Amino acid sequence: MSALHTKPAIAAAVLASLLFSSSGAAQQVNAYAAKAKVEPPAEKAPRVQIARGPELESADENSATIRWTSNNPGGSDEHFGVVHYGTSPNELNQTAKSHIRLNQNHPDTTFRVSVERLAPRTTYYYTVDSMQASGASDKVKSAVGKFTTPGPGERVMNFPQPK
Amino acid sequence: MRTRVIITVSGTLAIVLGATILSHAVSAQTSSPAQTSSPDGVAKPPVYDPYPPGILPSDLNSELARVVREVDFIEGRALAQWKALTPPVLTGQPPTLQGTGTAAIEALGELMNYDRNISPFRDIACASCHMPYVAFSGPIPSVNLTMVAYPGTVHFRAGKRTAQRYPYAPFFPVLQYNQVQGAFFGGNFWDSRATGYLLRNPDGEQAQHPPVDTQEMGNPDTACIAFKLQKASYRSLIEEIWGRGTLDIDFPAVTEKICALPGGAFGTNNTPVPLGPEERTRANQVYDHWAQALDAYEQSVQVSAFSSKFDAFLEGAYTLTAQEKAGYDLFRGKANCNSCHLDGRSTAPTPPPPEGTAPNSQDTGAAAATEPLFTCFGSANLGVPLNPRDAFYYQNKPDFFGFTANPYGFGYRDLGLGTFLRSGFGAAPSPNATWTQFAPVSDGQMQTSSARNVAMAPKQCPTTEAPGPYFQKEFFHNGYIKSLKQLVHFYNTRDVYKFNVTSGHCPPGKTEKVDCWPMPEVENNLDKTVGNLQLTDQEEDQIVVFLQTLTDGFTRPYSNSDTFTGACMQGGSAKTQGNEFLIPTPPLPPCTSAVCGVPPLPTMPIP
Repeated sequence: MSALHTKPAIAAAVLASLLFSSSGAAQQVNAYAAKAKVEPPAEKAPRVQIARGPELESADENSATIRWTSNNPGGSDEHFGVVHYGTSPNELNQTAKSHIRLNQNHPDTTFRVSVERLAPRTTYYYTVDSMQASGASDKVKSAVGKFTTPGPGERVMNFPQPK
Repeated sequence: MRTRVIITVSGTLAIVLGATILSHAVSAQTSSPAQTSSPDGVAKPPVYDPYPPGILPSDLNSELARVVREVDFIEGRALAQWKALTPPVLTGQPPTLQGTGTAAIEALGELMNYDRNISPFRDIACASCHMPYVAFSGPIPSVNLTMVAYPGTVHFRAGKRTAQRYPYAPFFPVLQYNQVQGAFFGGNFWDSRATGYLLRNPDGEQAQHPPVDTQEMGNPDTACIAFKLQKASYRSLIEEIWGRGTLDIDFPAVTEKICALPGGAFGTNNTPVPLGPEERTRANQVYDHWAQALDAYEQSVQVSAFSSKFDAFLEGAYTLTAQEKAGYDLFRGKANCNSCHLDGRSTAPTPPPPEGTAPNSQDTGAAAATEPLFTCFGSANLGVPLNPRDAFYYQNKPDFFGFTANPYGFGYRDLGLGTFLRSGFGAAPSPNATWTQFAPVSDGQMQTSSARNVAMAPKQCPTTEAPGPYFQKEFFHNGYIKSLKQLVHFYNTRDVYKFNVTSGHCPPGKTEKVDCWPMPEVENNLDKTVGNLQLTDQEEDQIVVFLQTLTDGFTRPYSNSDTFTGACMQGGSAKTQGNEFLIPTPPLPPCTSAVCGVPPLPTMPIP
């Protein structure tokens, strides 16, 4: 089907499109098939800002979930929330990241990151960022936050299911 | 790879082995009290039952017999419809089956789908695990409640995952690794192993797996399908579509005996039917036609119907009720379901931060921006707990044919896409070695099914939700979830009610699936888009109501949805539906190295 730019070919194409549209109703399902494809990435937000958080969603003796909401960063739908953390505010030398999928139709995005293998009854300091699938940072600025893990068998839940 | 080379020595050995097993089988059947026979009186081997009491449902035999009757009924109906079809006329350049060509290939796919003669013991058709009244998912409520996977031609070998629905599966693209998204899209099956790499049609390639899956239809050789199609009552339709001579393959006499035995009876030999290279090629071509015809049926308006309330709503021919609309707004707003289950609309009705993502009542969505297929074709690890009822875990002893489906027992872990990318145990060979490097970031991921028809149930019991009368379905890849209420509650509260226990071991005072979610089977690559959506109980219910608008059959009847002859269930609550069948997960041995020790290794060890 290499394109032949001759008048008869164009005329045939017009004729074909007319024929196709006249049988469009019968071809409803196949029309969907022809278009089935993966969405392209959204336009990247010029500046990604945090609107709420970051804050502790929940914690038990050896894990925590950090949560924040930013404007929709755009870019690849496959996205990662990133938490840099440590036991000293000056040494945030560990990193946790969790996958989320952006909703291109939403004005904002909630990130939630699991931080694992923590010690009980220990205070951790952290900052957050987010990144595209490629690893490119969204360059989010967050203040240094902190949380303390509870003791064995205890659990902190700051975002319970609403009634 | 379509032209498989037959190595003479091993081929001969296979025939000898096959013949030996066959005579063994026949003599054993004469003495075994456990022997059964198929509906046509076909001799069958002794029942394979490695299961502890309670794993197999007590009504399994009668339910399998029911489904056979229903399958035969639809096959009879399909034969009559085909015979009433005006034959197409082959004309034009390139030659086209003008007029009824589309109807002909769709009819052929339907006839194949309900043909149980394709399986060695003539007891399992494709449809046996995929019936139309539940949108081509599993048709036996008690199986959905207990063993999860469906018995194959050898009773009772079974697979390991729930039967995925057909509708809209044909719309998945060929599996690709998207460089920008850093993720895979497309393919068919929970683990995307039907990639479409060769036929350029994942749905068609999907249809090539179950007929030779040892725990499903169980043919020992793909050539057996061509052999059986030679004798099919609809053979002339195959020849009408693909030409005279299509099925003219000179099978040796031993083929009949080989193809009456299940996969696994010939050791690791996947081509026990002794064919020369040219005959083998022709058999492979017939198997590709099998794939194309089944895909045609699955894409037809009989299966992928686009006839739901939601489709009527998109056309402006139906107004969503207040509850449906509230559910829809949540689906694409606060609950964020359409980050993966794309609805094709452009704008969700959500106010900007800092108010958050609570829905309002203003629908600002324009016409569909993408196809309203309710999937992104991607995969995710949702963190579903291991389901200890899954029949696969118990098949760790050889059956009559010396075949063992899962030698690792509870050492098996389902890494989904990750295992397929490694060509690992329980998946299929990957056709693309450049993908293998992405296995560690794909571990635990399962395909995002279309949300369409998730709620379809037979007319007699028109809901999936207790108290009903309801039809018991199973959800997610391992059937852990038993109602849509539970499904939405899981997305909503997985991380709120998280406990470091396995299923069956929630602490006293806690109710599993209500205020206790056991740990994920696989923690790696856990998706955190979901897990704490901050939905109220009422909002969860509204999303369930919306999901029910995605059921085909609203704008016109759904083909063959009238064929259910089983019983409905009644009573109880959707929140705890099926909880009486929970069993304690045994102490789990470490993940077998056959799954978790295959390089490239998982990013964090899988316990």
